[in-house]
Amino acid sequence: MTALLASQLHERRRAPLAWGLPIGLMSAFVVAIFPAVEEALSKVVGQYPSALKEAFGIEELSTVTQYLDAEMLSLIVPLALGYLAGRAVASGLSGAAENGRLDVLLSAPVARRGLVAATFLAAAVELAVVLAVSLALTMLGSLLAGAGLPFWSALAGFANVWPLALVFAGFAVLATGWSLQTSIVTGSVAGLLVTMYVVDLVGKLDPSLDWLRYGSVFRYYGKAIENGIEPLAFAGVTAVAVAVAGVGAALFERRDIAG
Amino acid sequence: MSAIETEKLTKSYGSARGIEEVTIAVEPGEVFGLLGPNGAGKTTIIRTLLDLLHPTGGSARIFGLDSHRDSVAIRARLGNLPGDFGFGKQASGREALALLARLRGVADRGRAEALAARFRADLERPLGELSRGNRQKVGLILALFHRPELLILDEPTGGLDPLMQEEFLAVVAEERERGATVFLSSHELNEVERVCDRVGIIRGGRLVAVERVAELLERTPRRVSVELTGDAELPDLNQLPGVSGVHRDGRSLRFEVAGPVDAVVKELARHELADLEFAPPTLEQVFLTYYEEGR
Repeated sequence: MTALLASQLHERRRAPLAWGLPIGLMSAFVVAIFPAVEEALSKVVGQYPSALKEAFGIEELSTVTQYLDAEMLSLIVPLALGYLAGRAVASGLSGAAENGRLDVLLSAPVARRGLVAATFLAAAVELAVVLAVSLALTMLGSLLAGAGLPFWSALAGFANVWPLALVFAGFAVLATGWSLQTSIVTGSVAGLLVTMYVVDLVGKLDPSLDWLRYGSVFRYYGKAIENGIEPLAFAGVTAVAVAVAGVGAALFERRDIAG
Repeated sequence: MSAIETEKLTKSYGSARGIEEVTIAVEPGEVFGLLGPNGAGKTTIIRTLLDLLHPTGGSARIFGLDSHRDSVAIRARLGNLPGDFGFGKQASGREALALLARLRGVADRGRAEALAARFRADLERPLGELSRGNRQKVGLILALFHRPELLILDEPTGGLDPLMQEEFLAVVAEERERGATVFLSSHELNEVERVCDRVGIIRGGRLVAVERVAELLERTPRRVSVELTGDAELPDLNQLPGVSGVHRDGRSLRFEVAGPVDAVVKELARHELADLEFAPPTLEQVFLTYYEEGR
């Protein structure tokens, strides 16, 4: 298990830079320009329709945390990390089936569920590292621009993306129980990610459809950068991710690995 | 107890054919070849033995253990070369070897280094930069380095140059000496002829025969071409045992002979010959023999 985990992390060693660097630089830029645009923003946001503000969780943009949340943590970071999580699992399982690696690994005394667990754990570690790199660059941007972003708020904001993204790693495992084609696994996870986001948005816009939001993991995402991490939601979403991955592992155990 | 034992092993893919009721017993220390054309079902049998595919009927046991339920325990004792070996493009052979050694709990990689030297394998370059033959060498090392009790090799010489094919056949002979069981698939008759004790002929997903190699070759007709000199009388070969399909063309004779060739040689020796050629049986002839017998 440790050997498989180390191998998976080694295979995906470029991801923290490939994903963490652009997300982190973008967040750093958002934070860095805040002092310059702060005044103008308040006026613009004041003119937004209240339904729109509610849908996107914008009450005010008078602090750097609110601005970072609206610009990055409400949409871009969760969608990007959710997709990355799906890709990481697809690469470790369906990608390995396509390039022959899976045949070699499953010729060794490796249980399929062990391989799935290592892949899921590697995705979890990869997400954490990407978020850490993003957080570090964001704080650097704040420091250089004197934006005054509170570290613990930013930490909570970025950390809260982790369980949400992990759910999509779980769904990617589930998808490999159905198909071992990377394009199908990543495509289905991306589709689910966008669908859940839209369902949550529709539920927010139309109160009569609020019940729809229970089917979306974004309902439990919240605003950790402003309100702190909700421990129950954090643990619950993480548990859902592990449970979905567990079902996927059972399906993967039963499926054929075609050559 | 057989090293490999299948009982009516069947794998179907909906309406597509896989394998049907394949029953084989491979004894410990035996080199067994699975011979068949592409698409006959050789790889399906191998993948089912390795628990990569789940059978839709019948059973398979390796070392007396159930191939599905005890798959991890079985795989600890075998080495496998997949039909189209790969390990991703970025990893080098050495990285793949390091991972497999950890997974198998093998600390000493001396055997791997010796095999790499023998096969002249490049373990340092990323596998994506290697030709198929050079990747295959790495695959062979991964299958052999831990001295497994059972080797399962799917088309092991694919892509290897003739020198390396010779080296591979020598390694298989050494594995047999060591007491390992070897189960390999091939569509090269001369390859199985040289290393296998017994051969299973598979066609259309069904095992049509299991024979000792010598018996297989004896039953399969060889093509003979004879050219006579001058105006010597043409020999009458039709009456000789095992001779069939005699075709005359001027001073040339072409025919097939199955079984002992003694009578044919003695008859030809009574004539003055310009040329004589005994062609070894081809795989097509082997299949034709068993196909026609099965009809």
